[in-house]
Amino acid sequence: MANPEAIREQLNALRQAYAEQLPGKIREIEEGWRRLDHGPWDPKEFLVFHRQVHGLAGSGATFGFPAVSEKARALDDLLKTLPGDKGPPRPEIVTRIFEGLGGLKEAAGASPVVAAILPPPPTTGRDDHLVFLVARDHALTESLTAQLGHFGYAVRAFADAASLGEAIDRERPGALIADLPAPPQDREVLEGVTELQKIPGRRMPVVFTASRDDLATRFAAVRAGGSGYFPRPVDISSLIDQLELLMSHYSLEPYRILIVDDEEPTAERFKAVVEEAGMAARVVTDPRQISGPLVEFRPDLILMDIYMPGCNGLELAAVIRQQEAFVGIPIVFLSSETDIGRQLGALRLGGDDFLTKPIAEDRLVASLTARAQRARVLRSFMVRDSLTGVLNHSRLKAQLQIEVARSRRQGRRLAYAMIDIDKFKEVNDRHGHPTGDRVILSLSRLLQNRLRKTDIIGRYGGDEFAVILPDADGPTALKVLAEICDGFSHIRHVSERGEFSATFSGGVAILTEAGDAGSLNEAADRALYEAKNQGRNRVVLAP
Amino acid sequence: MVPLPLSRILYIEDEEDIQVVTKIALETVGGFTLLVCGSGAEALKEAPEFRPQLILLDVMMPGMDGPTTLKSLRTLPGLDKTPVVFMTAKVHPSEISNFKQMGALEVIAKPFDPMKLAEKIRDIWNATHG
Repeated sequence: MANPEAIREQLNALRQAYAEQLPGKIREIEEGWRRLDHGPWDPKEFLVFHRQVHGLAGSGATFGFPAVSEKARALDDLLKTLPGDKGPPRPEIVTRIFEGLGGLKEAAGASPVVAAILPPPPTTGRDDHLVFLVARDHALTESLTAQLGHFGYAVRAFADAASLGEAIDRERPGALIADLPAPPQDREVLEGVTELQKIPGRRMPVVFTASRDDLATRFAAVRAGGSGYFPRPVDISSLIDQLELLMSHYSLEPYRILIVDDEEPTAERFKAVVEEAGMAARVVTDPRQISGPLVEFRPDLILMDIYMPGCNGLELAAVIRQQEAFVGIPIVFLSSETDIGRQLGALRLGGDDFLTKPIAEDRLVASLTARAQRARVLRSFMVRDSLTGVLNHSRLKAQLQIEVARSRRQGRRLAYAMIDIDKFKEVNDRHGHPTGDRVILSLSRLLQNRLRKTDIIGRYGGDEFAVILPDADGPTALKVLAEICDGFSHIRHVSERGEFSATFSGGVAILTEAGDAGSLNEAADRALYEAKNQGRNRVVLAP
Repeated sequence: MVPLPLSRILYIEDEEDIQVVTKIALETVGGFTLLVCGSGAEALKEAPEFRPQLILLDVMMPGMDGPTTLKSLRTLPGLDKTPVVFMTAKVHPSEISNFKQMGALEVIAKPFDPMKLAEKIRDIWNATHG
C-alpha cells in the first residue's frame, strides 16, 4: 500500500471538498422538488430528483456524513414506492417528502465525523537493500558486510542493541541480523530484539547468528522473534536465501487471526486488540459459519471461545483438524475455564494453547504473534509436493518472489513458464487416476532432467507445473521448453486400456522493467491460454 | 488452471465525487489498475480494449442504469463471463438476490469505507477465484 499518511491526507481533502459542495447539492435537490411540486408533474424530473437523493444516501457516510446517508436513505426508500410516471403523489406523501428534505438539510449542517478507522501503522518505507547488523565481533561485522555487499545489500553495523530502536525510526531496514555472543552477554541482544518486536513500527524480520548451535540458544532466538538461526561460520548463501524470503512481500503480509466467539462484543474487542498490534482479524460469531472464512481468509491462527451455543469449541477444533488442509493451523482456546482437566481435553482434541479470560492485551498479542509466526515458518517448510517431489504451490510462489527480487538487484533476466497437461481430465477418465499420476510424474522427471540445476520447478497443483528460469531470455526459455514439449509428446504411457501419449501446453513470460512476480505470473498464464487456443501441444512466449 | 490475482477493474459510476474516492480506495490503497467510466455507454466503448477481470458497476445511473449496462456489456466479445459486482445504496435483501440473479458476484453497499473497499473486493474475488 502507498504511504497511509498520504492516503489519509487525500481522503481528508476529498471530505473537505464534499463538505463544501454538500449545501449546494441539497439546494439543488430542494429546487428540483419545488419544481415538481409546483409545476406540471414531469416524470423525468422526478427520476433526476430521486437519483440525486439516492446518490446522497450512497455517498454521505463515505465522506464523513453518516447522518446524511441515513436521512437520504429514508427518503430514497419512500421515493422508491412511488410510481413516478403516474403523476404527483398523494398529499400525505408530499408532506413526508418535505419532512424528509428538512431532515436531510439538517443532517448536512452537522459537522463531519472523522473516520474512526485509521490505516494500519506504516509497513512501507522500508529499504529492502538495507540490513542492520548487531555484532560485537569486528571480524564478523567486516566479513558479513563485505559478503552481503556482493549481493547488493548495504549493511549498517551496531555494536549493541540499545541504540537500534531510534536508528530504525530514522531509516527502515529490510531486516535485522543479530549475532548472539556467549552467555550471559547474549541476554542484552535477546532482550533488545524482543523489545523491538513489541512495537509495530519497529517490527521487522530478524535472523540470528551465533557461535553455538545448542538447543537452548536456538530456543532463546525463537522466543526473541527470530525467523532464522545460523551457526557460525555462516553459510552466506542460505543466509541470503532466508533474508530474501523474509523480505519478500509474501512474508510481510500481516498475520491473519480468525476469532471465533459467539459473544460479539468480546469478539470485536479481541479483533480491535489484534488489529491494533498490526495483525489482520476476522470474526465469526456463529461457529457453524466457520468454513467460509477458513478457506477465504486463510487464517494463520484461530482464536476460539470454548463454550458456544450449538457447538462447543472442542468439537469444532476436532472438526477443523479432520480436514487435511487445516491440520497446520494453530488453534488457541480462550475461556474462563480454569479446570486443568478440561484444558488438557482441549489440547487433546487439537487445540494448541489455552488462554484464560480475562487476559491482558499484551499477553494475548504476544501469544498470538509467536504462534502465528511459527505456523508460517512451519508451513514454508512443507515445501515439497508429495507426488513429484518438486516444490509445492506456496513455496514456488515464495521462491518466485525471491528470484524476482534477486534478478532485480543483480540486473539479470528472469523467465517464468507455466505448463499444463492437455486434456488431462480425459487421461484420468479414460485410464484411471493411478495412470494420470504416472503421467504427471513423467512430466516432472522430464523437467528435472532437461532443465538446468539452477532452474526451479514447482507443481502448481493438479496437472499444472511452473518453472523459474533465472538468467534466461525469452527465445532461450522458449526453445528449451519447446524441446521439452516435443520430448513429452513422444513419451508412450501404458495403462490397462493400452498405450497412449500425452501433450502439454506452456506459456513463457519474461520479467519486465516494471513487472513483479504477480504480473509475471499473469503474463505466463495468458501465454498458456494462448497456447491452448492455438491448438495445444506447444509453448507460447508472452508478447 | 490457477486463477490470476485480481488487478484490472472496470468501474462504472456517474457521480464524480464517488469516482474520485473509489479511485483512491482501489488504486492507491488497493493497488488495482482501474478504468473509470462515467456512463454505461462509455463503458461499452472502453471495456473490450481494457479487458477487465472484474466489473464494478453502480446501479442507479442516468441513461443506461447498471442492470442495462450489464446486459449490453455481456454481448461484447470477452465480456460475456467477466465477474460483476454491483455498488448501490439499495441494500434490501430481495434486491440483493435480484442482482445476484442477474449474475452479480456480490453487492457492495454504499456508503463504503474507502480504507476497506479494496480489501472487500479482494475478499469477494478470492471467495470465488481463490
